[in-house]
Amino acid sequence: MIVVEDGKIVRVGAEKDVEVPADAGRIDHKGWLSAGLIALHGYSGANGELRDTTRAALPEARVAWAFDASSPDVADLARQGITSLVLTPSPQSLAGGASAVVKTAGRSIVTREAQVCLGFSSQNLSFNRFPTSHTGGIAELDRLFEKPVGTLEKCKQGDLPALFEVSTPSDVLRAIDFAKRHKLKGALAGAGWAGEVATAVKNSGLAVVTPTLTPGEDRRTLRAIVALGAADVPFGFGLEAPASHAATLRLSAALCVREGLARDKAWRALTSEAARIAGVEKRVGSIEQGLDADFVLWSGDPTELSSAVSAVYVDGKRVYAAEER
Amino acid sequence: MRLPPRGTTAPWTRWMLVLLCAPLAAAQGSAPTETKPEAPTTLFLRGEKVIVRPGRVLENAAVLVTNGKITAVGTDLVKPDGARELSAKVLCAGFIDPWSALGISGDALRDAGTAPSTRAVDAADAFADEHVRREALRAGVTSVRVQAGTTARVSGVGALLRVAPGLPMEAMVIEADAALGMSIGLSANASNQGPTFEVVDGQVIQRDRGSRGMDPFDRIADVDRVTSTIEGGRNYLVSKNEYRHELEEWQKKIAEKETELDKEFKKAKKDREKEEKDAKEKGKKFEEKKYKEDKKPQPPRFDEDSEALAQVANGDLPLTVQVHRFAELHGLLAGTEKQDRLRLVLVGASESIPLATRLVERQIPVILAPALNGRGAPDELEAADLSLPARLSRAGVTVFLGSGGVDPAATRDLPLLVQMAIGNGFDRDQAFDALTLGAARLFDAEDRVGSIERGKDADLLLLDGEPLSSAGRVQYVISAGRIVVTPEG
Repeated sequence: MIVVEDGKIVRVGAEKDVEVPADAGRIDHKGWLSAGLIALHGYSGANGELRDTTRAALPEARVAWAFDASSPDVADLARQGITSLVLTPSPQSLAGGASAVVKTAGRSIVTREAQVCLGFSSQNLSFNRFPTSHTGGIAELDRLFEKPVGTLEKCKQGDLPALFEVSTPSDVLRAIDFAKRHKLKGALAGAGWAGEVATAVKNSGLAVVTPTLTPGEDRRTLRAIVALGAADVPFGFGLEAPASHAATLRLSAALCVREGLARDKAWRALTSEAARIAGVEKRVGSIEQGLDADFVLWSGDPTELSSAVSAVYVDGKRVYAAEER
Repeated sequence: MRLPPRGTTAPWTRWMLVLLCAPLAAAQGSAPTETKPEAPTTLFLRGEKVIVRPGRVLENAAVLVTNGKITAVGTDLVKPDGARELSAKVLCAGFIDPWSALGISGDALRDAGTAPSTRAVDAADAFADEHVRREALRAGVTSVRVQAGTTARVSGVGALLRVAPGLPMEAMVIEADAALGMSIGLSANASNQGPTFEVVDGQVIQRDRGSRGMDPFDRIADVDRVTSTIEGGRNYLVSKNEYRHELEEWQKKIAEKETELDKEFKKAKKDREKEEKDAKEKGKKFEEKKYKEDKKPQPPRFDEDSEALAQVANGDLPLTVQVHRFAELHGLLAGTEKQDRLRLVLVGASESIPLATRLVERQIPVILAPALNGRGAPDELEAADLSLPARLSRAGVTVFLGSGGVDPAATRDLPLLVQMAIGNGFDRDQAFDALTLGAARLFDAEDRVGSIERGKDADLLLLDGEPLSSAGRVQYVISAGRIVVTPEG
């Protein structure tokens, strides 16, 4: 039983131990209750941001400026039990600015400066603007971090984690090397194959954000993520929404569980671990006293795909309820 | 006068052939044998729970498999000597993906020039996508319905194939003629895709028109094309039936005339000789008497496409039409209303909710892909959300679930997508039926696969929990009596 007051969880415990205020409204749910899911690395509500490819580095940009909370794409996330989204700038930038953590209902923004996004994949290279090569890209990032300004400075000082956009295992190793050189912490995003160099990732202290895993996903990626779990590397699931359907987030976890990932690790990757990676674990990601009342009522065990969302609450307010069947 | 042939091969010719072949066979037998996929052996499979068929369960039962077939199912079976024994918590039939892209070569799958007579079985490739096949088996999918030209307007005849890699042709093909496939209004067929080039003020300007789907006129033309193609098949069938009838009549008349001539043979001979003599005397040319029976009825010109379409019109072959938008669904239903023998199966059917009552009335089943379509998916798929199977099913429509026929690897994840459909309200028992016996019945293969019953092919799963749950991990997969998946790999 949980007690919610002013959008916060104030008490959690077994029914007999929890003191309920006399004037509290009561919701009885014959099913499961969990923390709201957190999608790392998505674009819902800030779709247009993906098109800025004119400049390689926009270290002062904050993707939160572009967030449209009333976009139907955002409501789509809430319906699938996703209560927070890490909104990231375009992966085509070398330094894309700051990501944001937004709620999927109620127009609330958890933080406008979650991570500093740095491009290490071939996606940020272009034939008609600098940088045009990996070496050029890394040289430019080194230069930016020599005399860092704005969000880069905060990142270098350790106040903001970095989010390294990577794709191949060699991107992963280049990013790890860069993080070591500039003493940065953070996570590797889009790193489906990071598990193939799991020991190096583990030693770097960086976390991992997976790409969206869709039906028919390559087994190489699934195995690499299982290897990350086995090596105890913290990771969470990315959701390239709105291009990917919101329900793909839970499917991503189920694909890995079928491949051999421990079920509790998969669940943490959808909630508490994801919150830690985004640096918002003191606000969301668990059912704990003092945290935001973002929770989901499920028809059954939420790690089973055959369980469905019955209702979603954000900041203590019901934002979605499934139709009665 | 022409007579129907009556001759048969003389018995001695057949004996000659056998004698000639005997030494050859002996020579082959002594040659070193090739390594082939594990040959069928005798298997004795035990389950704490055996789901014999949807809705029928045996506790603590066993299944005997001999030479690829299920030879006994029961609670009192004794393991025969030499049989290999496997056991698991749950035994059930292998899953069937009724809308898959796995099993045939990629070029055939994407072929845009397919015709009604194109047969997917001709492109069946037991060695293509081997790792994908193994993954699909590990997920419990043992057979698929696949067709060439999957997004073509006429895809040809689809086949029901086993997923296990490297099977010999006779074990791989469950049903070579599963259904004839067509499509209406798919964005993949839009003519306005890709860039166009225009010359403006002497300069070549490239305009990217993007994919905007098909325009409404193209789509209506598609509906017309499909309905008139089926109509053509029906006409062919009618003329074939007419010919058969006329031929019978003709043969009867020939027989009558023969008897008549036999009876009056002497008189007829005399008459003919007289006529011949008269003609000679008068210096005229003798002409044989003409009988009206001389004119044999002509069969309709053989056309292989029409042959396939005639089977469809006659209901011998189901017709699967991938169609999504309401207008085209409506047009197809209206255009086929009078085809009372047609076994129409709708595929995709995204916007079919308003037509549910008519589908129930006409007993038309649908194959849906419980798809996860994000923004940017083709516009015809917008209404195909995870709750569509449940909503159609609750309206009384028979619903099957498939992986969508585009990506071969998606077949592996069909059981997970079905679980999502269950989460969105689709009945669990119906889902199990749709993946097993129901799908087998849809393609006339219920005597071969779809349940664990005596006489059927041994295509089954040994699981350590309930099927269609995360606890129901696949331990062993048996396909055509062969062990194709083990817990080790």
